[in-house]
Amino acid sequence: MRLEMGTFPVTDIVFGRTTRYDAGRLTVDRETVLAAVRQDPRIAKAELEIARPGESVRIWPVRDVIEPRVKVEGPGVCYPGICGRDIATVGRGRTHRLAGMGVVEVSSVNWHDAGGDFVETYLDMSGHYGEMYPYQKLVNLCLVVEPDATLSEEVKNYAVHKAALTVADQLGEAVRSLAPPEREVFELTPVDPSLPRVVYIWCVHSPQAMSGSPTAFCTATYGLTQLTPPWYLHPNEILDGALTGPYRTAFAMSWTVANNPLFLDLYRRHGRDWNFLGVISLRTEWTTQTEKQLMANQTAKLAGQLGAQGAVVTWDAGGNEFIEVVRSIQACERLGIKTVFLTSEDDATDGAPTMLEPLPEADAIVSTSFFKNVTLAVPEAPAVSRVIGSPTRIVRRGSTIGLHGGVDGVALPTTGPMPPPWRYDDHYGFSSLSCAE
Amino acid sequence: MISAIYNFALTTGANRVIRGSRIEHVCGDPTLSPEKDYAFGMRIVTTALQTLTIAVPGPTLFDPMAPGKTEEAAHAS
Repeated sequence: MRLEMGTFPVTDIVFGRTTRYDAGRLTVDRETVLAAVRQDPRIAKAELEIARPGESVRIWPVRDVIEPRVKVEGPGVCYPGICGRDIATVGRGRTHRLAGMGVVEVSSVNWHDAGGDFVETYLDMSGHYGEMYPYQKLVNLCLVVEPDATLSEEVKNYAVHKAALTVADQLGEAVRSLAPPEREVFELTPVDPSLPRVVYIWCVHSPQAMSGSPTAFCTATYGLTQLTPPWYLHPNEILDGALTGPYRTAFAMSWTVANNPLFLDLYRRHGRDWNFLGVISLRTEWTTQTEKQLMANQTAKLAGQLGAQGAVVTWDAGGNEFIEVVRSIQACERLGIKTVFLTSEDDATDGAPTMLEPLPEADAIVSTSFFKNVTLAVPEAPAVSRVIGSPTRIVRRGSTIGLHGGVDGVALPTTGPMPPPWRYDDHYGFSSLSCAE
Repeated sequence: MISAIYNFALTTGANRVIRGSRIEHVCGDPTLSPEKDYAFGMRIVTTALQTLTIAVPGPTLFDPMAPGKTEEAAHAS
């Protein structure tokens, strides 16, 4: 399976009469792009705005950031399966991507209506808070979108995400027939058999248990979000978006999944430092001990069948999902597969361990810093000149601290100083923060 | 302690651990009829109450659905 990735760096976005790419400058025909979005009768309102790095701009709230990718040669479409897109197996041929930019999905639609999970990520284009996330360095085209209010939460989710993908598709079309300024070939070529064989165990949350629906919107594998046994994915499938966001965390956006630095480094060093075997994607939040252990056993078995000698493990969730993740590590180690675990840490209140179930087999752990912004002592983000999205935010599950500080249900202006969200949780090592020191 | 992820309860030092149903409904099963769901929940809860009378040497798992437990649970209720 060979994939050529053509990269078109974007250094600025402007609105103009036709959507086109020219030497880093992306011109967007706003009305044509919005007309495509509004073709979906489920969409009630849609606007486009541009946010550039360094501007005093806040985007509230952010559901997803998408890197436009378009399939130029080979079967299927990029970001397959999700929102009813084609499910042909991707990863072959040629794909073009618009790098250095994001299509930002801005909407009040919540993840699901079962309670507990709220959309609470926001992006500041300048300042300390924004610098903690990779999106502040991107030129962002924001789609502020609201669906028909009478639809169910699940349908609303798919409608607004489809709208954001429609924008990304329209931009991707602008570079379909152009010669990419940068090209890179990705292929799992045969390598020196003495190189160590390494697999990436990429654990992703399933919203099924939390929402009560097997089709609730979330990080998707070919569009599927439900609890499924572990998948084997060729890394080229990932490059074409077979695994895509978003989930409720700031580091589980479509853009972040597509640009996961750990994954890209594993792939780019294939044949030089190791033999990269591909990705085992494990859905997490199984709800019994038996299921959690079964998934751990099967993940390790699959890694063993692939011939892995080593495994790198990440996860994007929290709480009880740690069990199937850490027990996959344990099961791998018991089969003789050495593991390295990349994870954030919780705060060690009263000397408690920073991880839920510290198992002795998980003895090589790289910390990506703390799980919570409050533990990191991230200060309030200062007031901004302009807000893209909603002018107010509603306090949910009112508390005394952070983004939920205040009385439940109260609306606060979004231009003013704003506390950071509860969660930081860098899943893939984007930032240079760590707790090792 | 009644828990669906009972191993975690055992490793964190709970002395009497009762195997629960699922994380989202530890003492019930919404796929059952109301009557059967009630009986199912009672079996878990009565097992938990019974274990309070049993001396344990350390963290011990009790399974309300294990063979032989049914009669005991029925008796207790």
